[in-house]
Amino acid sequence: MSEITVLLCRCFGEIDQTISFATVREKLDKDSNISSSICVDSLCIGRDIDAVISQIRESGVKKVLIGACSGLARGDQAVQNLMDRGIARADIHLVDLREGCAWIHRDNPDGASQKALNLIDMGLVFLKNKDESDDVSVTMNPDVMVIGAGPAGLAAALSLGRFGITVHLLERSSTPGGMLKLITRSYPKDDATTPRLEQYLDQIEKSSFVRFYPRSKISSIKGYMGNFKVRFSSGEEEQSITPGAIIIASGAMVFLPNGLFRYGELGNVISQMELETRFKKGNVTVKNAVFIQCVGARCKDRPYCSTICCPSSIKNAIRIREDNPDTNVFILHRDVMTPGNVLEGYYIKALSRGVQFIRFAEDNPPVIKGEKIIEAVEVYDAITGHTRTIESDLVVLSTPLIPNHDNQHLAEMLDLQLDRYGFFREIYPMHPLETRMDGVFICGSARWPVSSGQAITQGEAAAMKAASVVLKGEVRAFTFSRVPGLKFGHARVTPDSCTGCGNCMAVCPFDAIRLQRIDGKYAYVSRVNKMRCKACGNCVSVCPNGTMQMPEHNYLSVCKMIEKAF
Amino acid sequence: MTVEKNKIRQPRILVFACKWCGLIGADGAGRNRVSLPLNFRVIPVECAAFVEPDAVIRALASGIDGVVVMGCHVGGCRFNDANHHAIKRLELLGDLFDTAGIGRDRLMVSFGTAHEDHQFADVIRKYVDRIEQLEPLEPWVTSLVKK
Repeated sequence: MSEITVLLCRCFGEIDQTISFATVREKLDKDSNISSSICVDSLCIGRDIDAVISQIRESGVKKVLIGACSGLARGDQAVQNLMDRGIARADIHLVDLREGCAWIHRDNPDGASQKALNLIDMGLVFLKNKDESDDVSVTMNPDVMVIGAGPAGLAAALSLGRFGITVHLLERSSTPGGMLKLITRSYPKDDATTPRLEQYLDQIEKSSFVRFYPRSKISSIKGYMGNFKVRFSSGEEEQSITPGAIIIASGAMVFLPNGLFRYGELGNVISQMELETRFKKGNVTVKNAVFIQCVGARCKDRPYCSTICCPSSIKNAIRIREDNPDTNVFILHRDVMTPGNVLEGYYIKALSRGVQFIRFAEDNPPVIKGEKIIEAVEVYDAITGHTRTIESDLVVLSTPLIPNHDNQHLAEMLDLQLDRYGFFREIYPMHPLETRMDGVFICGSARWPVSSGQAITQGEAAAMKAASVVLKGEVRAFTFSRVPGLKFGHARVTPDSCTGCGNCMAVCPFDAIRLQRIDGKYAYVSRVNKMRCKACGNCVSVCPNGTMQMPEHNYLSVCKMIEKAF
Repeated sequence: MTVEKNKIRQPRILVFACKWCGLIGADGAGRNRVSLPLNFRVIPVECAAFVEPDAVIRALASGIDGVVVMGCHVGGCRFNDANHHAIKRLELLGDLFDTAGIGRDRLMVSFGTAHEDHQFADVIRKYVDRIEQLEPLEPWVTSLVKK
């Protein structure tokens, strides 16, 4: 019973100058599985394909094996061409004869021909056993949930609202604004933050698409991209929503330097955030102000750079100097971190305004002198080698942002990963703001400490990503692929032979497998969520009795391919 | 003469290449016309985690001299942490081969080392050389069966 047509692409001589197609076709003609072998000049040219397709149609054969270049070169295009002309995806298989055989064995044509035959044999058994996963489709819920109403969350909610997407904006405290509420000016342009925040809040209030839930606490999140089920309490009320995508903009916390540099012991040793609240009340008038950078950052416990403390110190130093030009301002730093096209100019501006920068070494930090009030700060200048005593009446400690305490809880609910410091982790640089769970995006300081401007940018970017998810309408599970193109398939369980051991559930990197109790029995059977499954095959290789299979590439075809390999 | 007899003349090597790393290396080697020994056949897989330990054993049982599994480097897997699991499994399989007396040289696990053409060629050439130093499995197995 002949059921397979073999298409051999000459690639205008690139393949058949090494591999002898005459020998290959001679052997193939003897195979009873093959109805015919067709040799074409090039499969990526439309004219040739049309001729081939009509030939296949006439013979009435369904399955097609292509022997051509690799999928990464033009092979996938050839497959796509056949699919466009009505041949099912499950009935086509591509064998790489050019990159995988002809071009690497040009010194040995006989061996290359033999290898090509082996490769085609392997392809034939693969195609014979190839099945197609049954596809399901899902309707995307058109809502988005945004966790946290800081600058990132507000920007995300607003730009989604402009699209006409319903947004559920959850906030832990009673008013929106996040850290933008606490500060008065933002670097590098020194614009006032209050009008910007008010503008945001005004728009949120006017928008009919944004629903704000103050004092909310999430109790559970279930489901997958397109169909999350979230239960939370807002104030006293219990709420339940079904968003299609989730944006995490929960922000970060300020580190309190308890016990460092006599903080808490002397009155005028304050943290950067306390200086911001003093600015909120009015002008700060002091004689000499000293800023100490990297307090509790870039140390053993927190080895990261928080990126926002240097520009904020520069911002406040310039402000103190401009308000009162008689004040001397010193910034004691380990390195000044002002990257980018704008912030370096900001540093130069601080220098020109007369802010003095003194570098100290990590192992020789500044010492604050004084009994009940600050008298002076003694610092060993690491560049000149002199010990300097600076009279001062205000010491500002620049502390980093640290991850929120409930990040762990949120990460467990959503099956996300935290990095080693406790911030939310992106999957990898090619997919910015995306997490290992499809449909869950991170932005702002929940991801990494950022300034308010950057948080707004990231919030809007995350909003666009979420919009591209929820505006899709009905979506097939095959398109739920993280990698380019269509998904390979989904794992399939044969419920009759599943013993319910749970190995597959333990190894699934996407949490796609659950054990389901069989009614009336104390036994379980595993169930695959086709939306979450990405077809990596991890469950297949741990299944003790071969119940879990990838229909496209099952164990039988792997074994047959091994047999045919040489 | 006897020494020659006990060595593998034309090693048969099966390569399970992850579509996102090893296969890209293989493809690059082809594009750059790197000349490679004929002794290997590539089975493309979606992820290195797809490779069943059972399949590796079956390959060795059916006359293949060495198996290479190529995957993405740890932390760079397209499927979250799928290749962490694969590494653990295949390391255990190596231990099993040591215990059984076959030796873990029969299985080479290469994660993140074959992404480029010259790296792929290097891995293949070195592995062919290594396998050529080993004794064929078949006489060893038949001698065990006879006992």
